[in-house]
Amino acid sequence: MLKLESINVRFGGLAALQDVSLLVDSEDMVGLVGPNGAGKTTLFNVISGLVRPTGGRVLFNNIDVLRKPLYARARMGIGRTFQIPQPMHELTVRENLLVAQRFGTGSVNQSKIDEILDFVRLSDKSDRNAATELALTELKALEVAKALAIQPKLLLLDEVLSGLETAGKRQFMQMLSDLHWRFDVGILIIEHDIETISSVCKRVCVLNFGKLIADGTADAVFKDPEVIKSYTGESGA
Amino acid sequence: MKIRFLLPVLAVVYLAIPYLWGGNNYVMSLLVAAFIIAGVALAWALLANLGGMVSFGHSAFFGVGAYLSALLCINYRLPVLAGILMGGIGAAVASIAMLPALRLRGPYFALAVLAYANIFKILAMEFKGITEGAAGVTNIPALPTVMGFDFSSKLGTYLVIVTIVLLFTGSYHLIRVSHYGAALKAMHDSEDATRVVGVNSTLLKAMMLFVSAFMTGVVGAVNAHYINFIDPDYAFDLGWTLLPMVAVVFGGYRTLMGPLVGAVGIFMLDQLVFKALIGTGHQIMLGAVLAVMVLFSPDGLVPLIGDKWKRIRRAQA
Repeated sequence: MLKLESINVRFGGLAALQDVSLLVDSEDMVGLVGPNGAGKTTLFNVISGLVRPTGGRVLFNNIDVLRKPLYARARMGIGRTFQIPQPMHELTVRENLLVAQRFGTGSVNQSKIDEILDFVRLSDKSDRNAATELALTELKALEVAKALAIQPKLLLLDEVLSGLETAGKRQFMQMLSDLHWRFDVGILIIEHDIETISSVCKRVCVLNFGKLIADGTADAVFKDPEVIKSYTGESGA
Repeated sequence: MKIRFLLPVLAVVYLAIPYLWGGNNYVMSLLVAAFIIAGVALAWALLANLGGMVSFGHSAFFGVGAYLSALLCINYRLPVLAGILMGGIGAAVASIAMLPALRLRGPYFALAVLAYANIFKILAMEFKGITEGAAGVTNIPALPTVMGFDFSSKLGTYLVIVTIVLLFTGSYHLIRVSHYGAALKAMHDSEDATRVVGVNSTLLKAMMLFVSAFMTGVVGAVNAHYINFIDPDYAFDLGWTLLPMVAVVFGGYRTLMGPLVGAVGIFMLDQLVFKALIGTGHQIMLGAVLAVMVLFSPDGLVPLIGDKWKRIRRAQA
């Protein structure tokens, strides 16, 4: 479904991504980890269209989407969330989803909106102002709900668990596990917490200084000496 | 607007005002001028409120609409109403030249559009073969007589401009309550959040620019056929941007009725009260009124009245 070929991104003198190649299928739920500044969010920005790479190709369902703008990629089925929730201001929770569905899919389906609201446990908050009347956990849930409203084939989740307290995190993890199957969507998820990502994703990719240094099962990846070194600065051997 | 508010408004503008002052040319001319400003104010507010763009260039659309309609009617014998429509379309087409400015935000957009507006004024001044240059265009055909009713009279022009402004208000309302309106509102604070769910934000902003330019062009054209003379200094005067802006801020730019209440209220206040109190330099009072309004109710007069009304209702309940 998603194929990244030798993606390179430079910000001035800084190589944010170097030769990153990656495959994500519709059945996959892939964890993307790495230390701060490793290039994880930059990779999401490249896939979704916020950042244009200096080299490489982004193929989505065998179509090169590199020259397609952000909104066109969303309409093709690439949904994403932001690390810092970005609710649509002045709109209620339901209106946020309606706008996403109307523009992302070209039509409005209220029962689908209800289903998504129920899934992310925001049904009783649907008439609240999204920007001013939601707690952080609810804002994170709204991010996921908006992305689901465009009926994505691929979902990019950027640190949806960060900043949540233990109970909220547990609730969210359960939701993420269900989401993959219930909405039949491939998922690429950025997360710092190794324990969390291991419990949710079978496959994990590791970025460090803009390079993909590991791609495999969670068990194998987190035993990889290079991965341990990237996190601790020490050799795992 | 709810029907229980709409019907009294229609009754006042179409029945009460013509009945009370229809024969008074002075009052009617003031109301025509007020509604011309209201039309531009509404178009300006649409672009600011929905498109998120503060424009200093609406005088360009006003002038293009006025010139195009006047020249088409004089040179090609186009019926006046068709000329007015073409004036609006011409202004919308002229706004295409401003599309590159959509990439800019805040004061940069405002300044770029101000520069564009000056370009149109210079073009009208220099293309003497078409526009008559600084001498201006004279003998612009007046609004027609239909079934014996003279629409070029003060009362007739009042009915024309009021109808146009109300139609624009209805269009603005329909856009505002549509999904496009919701997406446009959402774009103000979080454009990326709307783009990642499939909203083509540039296209939506461009559409608002076209609609706003069209509205302003139509009003400019009506004004040209009302006063029967235009020149570049008058048609492209910055006042056609500034006075509507003041009206919008005074009335409340985020509300539907704010631009109308602001334009009619502030113009009538200025002409009937301030002018009587201070003959020369009465505009200084406008500045004072605006300053007081911004200090005590930054959202404008209509939201202020709305809040007071809600409090009264709550106290009675």
